[in-house]
Amino acid sequence: MESKVDNYQDQIYHFKGLWDVPSICGLKIVKKAENTVVIATDLFEDNPGTSITEWNVKLAKQICDENEIDYTDLIYIEHTPDKKTKLSFNHESFFKVKFDVTSDKFENPQWQELAKNEVDKLITE
Amino acid sequence: MKFQLVFPKWRKLEGQTTFNLPPHGAIVFAATIPQDIEVEFIDENLEEMRFDDDVDFVGISMLLTTQIKRGWAIADEYRKRGKKVIFGGISTMLHAEETMEHADSVFLGEAEGHMEQVFKDFKNGELKKVYNHMNDLPPIEIVGPARRELYNRDLYYHKGVQMVDLFHASRGCKYSCYPCAVSYLGGRQFRPRPIDKAIEELESIDNNRLFIVDNSLAQDTQWEKDLFKAMIPLKKKWCSHTIEDKPEVLDLAAQAGAWYVYQAVFDTSDYIKERVKRYHDYGIGVEGTILLGLDNQTEDDIKRLIDFLLEIDLDLAEFTVLAPFPHTKAYNDLVKQNRIFNKNWDDYNAGQVVYHPKHMSAERLQELYQYAWDTFYKDESQEEKMFKLLKKVVSREVEDGTFKKRRQDLSKSSFGKNVIHKIA
Repeated sequence: MESKVDNYQDQIYHFKGLWDVPSICGLKIVKKAENTVVIATDLFEDNPGTSITEWNVKLAKQICDENEIDYTDLIYIEHTPDKKTKLSFNHESFFKVKFDVTSDKFENPQWQELAKNEVDKLITE
Repeated sequence: MKFQLVFPKWRKLEGQTTFNLPPHGAIVFAATIPQDIEVEFIDENLEEMRFDDDVDFVGISMLLTTQIKRGWAIADEYRKRGKKVIFGGISTMLHAEETMEHADSVFLGEAEGHMEQVFKDFKNGELKKVYNHMNDLPPIEIVGPARRELYNRDLYYHKGVQMVDLFHASRGCKYSCYPCAVSYLGGRQFRPRPIDKAIEELESIDNNRLFIVDNSLAQDTQWEKDLFKAMIPLKKKWCSHTIEDKPEVLDLAAQAGAWYVYQAVFDTSDYIKERVKRYHDYGIGVEGTILLGLDNQTEDDIKRLIDFLLEIDLDLAEFTVLAPFPHTKAYNDLVKQNRIFNKNWDDYNAGQVVYHPKHMSAERLQELYQYAWDTFYKDESQEEKMFKLLKKVVSREVEDGTFKKRRQDLSKSSFGKNVIHKIA
């Protein structure tokens, strides 16, 4: 099935990364009745600071806190867009990240790769 | 006040020709230290540590991930003796949190403009645990010249032949390559040094052969051309990472003394083949740098790549396996996929496989890495190929009157140690 979704970011999100370096990522938040899908997109060369993967425990919590997202309803996805090269490691990828969540922090990220269609399903259905 | 600046040793790759080049980052850093401080430099790759020297403050300059555990051990020794230790350099930034456990202070970022404060804090007993200047890059105009007078010069000779001196003409890199940590290190923006400053430093180097260590000179054509144009009268001979292969750039580079350049060879395309030929057309040698173990490589791809290298007439080739250094996309990808099985930083030397490759076992990739070295240098050894390149530069130096004979007093030593001559 071909994907019909071509937009995984609605805004540029600014955050302070490791060692307080100003950093950015793409952000899409889809709130649904049963859960909230957050997609953080790596911006590669356009990001002057820390990557979304490296900062995910802090970034995911910060996005939840600022957008009043219940931690238990969160489906958090890291998106690396296609860099338009023939090298396979530069192709588009999506990873769902599960965190161990306590009241004051996210920790122990665990990644699970998702197909594009699975992501589309999560944000459209 | 005396400051001892240490460059820790690391385990060299087995089976490869080892050359000890004079370290660069440490002496660039040394140029930022206030002038009233006496600085003593130890390159542990060539010198014994002197933990009991009468020094007030110790700096450890770290370049490589494979160097950091030794750096930590050195710091522990000094601290046992009551000395304060500060760490800096690229791999300090890559491993800052772990390094803090072995340090009185960690400096993050580029040192220019900040060392007065650090030394003032030290003198006042107020050294900070972290000097975070990751987000505070200095104006490029104030960089350098490096303090090469700190080297024990005689150590950087092999059988009387002086090793190249390292030099940098720019900082930062606009590219974002998969295995590279430049985005984390804060160097996303290309920052070329003013030409007059670069030339002033080049003129001051008492060595006709250089390695220009910039990530890539191919980032601003006009600056690159201006730099090469200004270098022509110096008659230096140099190797470097990538330069642009436009005819006008190559022409100026050749006139400026381009000896050989590094060229990443990542596939068997005509693009690579033609690029290597273009360098050769201008008399510039090419050392291929070949990274093995990327996710797009199968065993057959690697074997085909090695056959290709033999076809395109490379002057030298250097093989590495992917080392997923922290703060790179390569590291992030492999962590996400739970594929890193070895976190001993000593082994992150780009010669040892520390992760599960996508299309083969780690053991098989290790074998193919060895196969690559053996196959490429089967008919002509690395030393023989290097000697050929050396002959080329010597003949150019003889032509333009810059050739210096090898030092007879050091002809029986290699990097400070006596060598026994073998009779072939």
